[in-house]
Amino acid sequence: MTGFDRFVIAYLPYITLLIFLGAMIYRLRAWSRLSQPSMTLFPQPRGGSKKGIVAEIFLFPKLFLSDKYLWSLAWIFHLSLALIVLGHLRVIFDFAFLWRALGMTPADVDSMSATLGGVAGIVIFVAVVAILSRRVFLQRVREISTAGDWMALLLLAAILATGNAMRFGEHFDLNQTRVWFMGLITFSEVAAPANTAFIWHAFFGQLLIIYIPFSKILHFGGIFFSQTALHRS
Amino acid sequence: MTSREIDMVVKGIKAIKDAPAALRLAMEICAKCGTCAKECPVYYGKSRKDLNPAERSDLIRKIYDRYYTPGGKLKSLFTGSNGTVSEEELDRWAKAFYECTACRRCARFCPMGLDNSVITRKGRALLDAVGKTPSFLLKVIDASLQTGNTDGAPPVALEEAAKFLEEEILEEDGVKVKIPVDKHPADVFFVPPSGDVLVNPEAIMGTAKVFHVLGVDWTMSSKAFDGANYGLFTGNDQAMKEDNKLYIEEAREIGCKTLMMGECGHAHRIMKFMMEKAHWWGDLSFEINNILQFTARAIQEGKLEFDKSKNPDPVTYHDPCNFGRSCGIIEEPRVIMRACCADYREMTPSGAENWCCGGGGGLSAMDSIKEFRMTVSGKKKVEQVRATGAKYVASPCSNCKRQFTQLMQHHELDVGTGGLHDLVSRAIVYQ
Repeated sequence: MTGFDRFVIAYLPYITLLIFLGAMIYRLRAWSRLSQPSMTLFPQPRGGSKKGIVAEIFLFPKLFLSDKYLWSLAWIFHLSLALIVLGHLRVIFDFAFLWRALGMTPADVDSMSATLGGVAGIVIFVAVVAILSRRVFLQRVREISTAGDWMALLLLAAILATGNAMRFGEHFDLNQTRVWFMGLITFSEVAAPANTAFIWHAFFGQLLIIYIPFSKILHFGGIFFSQTALHRS
Repeated sequence: MTSREIDMVVKGIKAIKDAPAALRLAMEICAKCGTCAKECPVYYGKSRKDLNPAERSDLIRKIYDRYYTPGGKLKSLFTGSNGTVSEEELDRWAKAFYECTACRRCARFCPMGLDNSVITRKGRALLDAVGKTPSFLLKVIDASLQTGNTDGAPPVALEEAAKFLEEEILEEDGVKVKIPVDKHPADVFFVPPSGDVLVNPEAIMGTAKVFHVLGVDWTMSSKAFDGANYGLFTGNDQAMKEDNKLYIEEAREIGCKTLMMGECGHAHRIMKFMMEKAHWWGDLSFEINNILQFTARAIQEGKLEFDKSKNPDPVTYHDPCNFGRSCGIIEEPRVIMRACCADYREMTPSGAENWCCGGGGGLSAMDSIKEFRMTVSGKKKVEQVRATGAKYVASPCSNCKRQFTQLMQHHELDVGTGGLHDLVSRAIVYQ
């Protein structure tokens, strides 16, 4: 194991967790303490203030009205992302009891995970490439893009590329990551899974997690505050 | 420009950290997706980087970033002057923030729920603090604070206009319709924009006729006959409140039950959605209504009758940004137009999605940027009007009316323009 591997596998996770949690709490708390004078914008969302705001946040109806292509990309991207985040729970823990309750054999679970995860991994990669292309080829988007905009997308692309490499490259046994995770939470030394793609995937992934609370990627938190400011009646 | 003034601007931008959520979030979560540019009347008119709404907002955002985001801090290490405030930079602002019509159309479509007009107003407020507000707008505010109206007209102007309009109505319709001035007490205190008193008085005639037919006890005030309030446009909250105060004092003096705002979108927005909501002057003993809502309601209740043949030409309705997106008064004007016009045509798109006339946010009053208003910010509007084939555009906003008059002239379109109660005035039937 090289020094870099050791850093990514044994130390960085703790740093990532501390920075992520601390910064998230700090920023969300700051936002929630802001005054919210009504900036009333019409039409007010359908289905009452609260329901309407939730719909705004999860369905992006305004974007749908303006740009169906971008709306589709946004939906495909966020949906696949949600699926992938959910799937990653299996990386740290095999929910054996759940599968038993659902009457699924380990083979069933593996094939479900391979199909859903595989499709989501490809689809989201294509979506990110499409979103990047928009930024490159559409003048109105390119001219307002800053370093942070490019970085977020490139980082995502790197994570997705290494993740897909793990899924479609040489076989990767998830038991290795579960052992690794158990080692982390019990503070005991564990060996890193011997897989280059995994090391890079874990490295870029943690970079992104650290970056989230400092960047506009946290729009998934901020949007609750901005939509409320605009639509609370 | 002194270093103290530059410090003031920097301080103002740093203060955004504790600003209302709408402003701070606009600094922090814009995804730069370009949707605002797609929906912006100015960027539609000319797709140039400095006219891209997100780029304009970045003028402030990059300075904010310099102090508060790791990326901005890092960037300032490498680029040095990036995101610093200087006289040249502020001169760039003075141009840029008066090239945004603050129409909020971007906010109608922004998937993040951000509103560039909030940033524009902040930018203008900072400019105002260092004396970089366009001089004409400052003159308007001065006039309004001194005389109670943005035209600087004396009280006698309203008295004479009222007399003149009464005579007009008598001559045209053969009916004695009162236009009361300074009547105490009165149930309804009517506040038009001064443009309707001095420039396009037909709307006042229409309003007077509606009140006459319905038997409303109403009055105007010779001290306070202009709801227009340019503090909204220059970002000067203090001036905005000071300008507003006279109207509330006068409403209390009159002892009215209703403060009825006329055909002026931003005046209604300030009264209904700022002053009343934020309790600037405590609890009010009267309700705030608008003449569009009032007349539309009377029509729906079957209390008004019209002879549509008096308005035979095709007409269309332009939603002023402040009435549509900011006040939600969208259906009412259409109720009025359909009731009194033979051939009403809808613009595409309309309502909350309607495009700005190109003169919003106080731009319409500025002759210094007329070329810009005619060829850039108003470009889409001309196309919209042309597509309807209408011969008359009704718009309950003095700024829109001024912009339309100039637009039609500039683009050589034979299309008239005016208010809604102008049409009401021509077609109303006395019962």
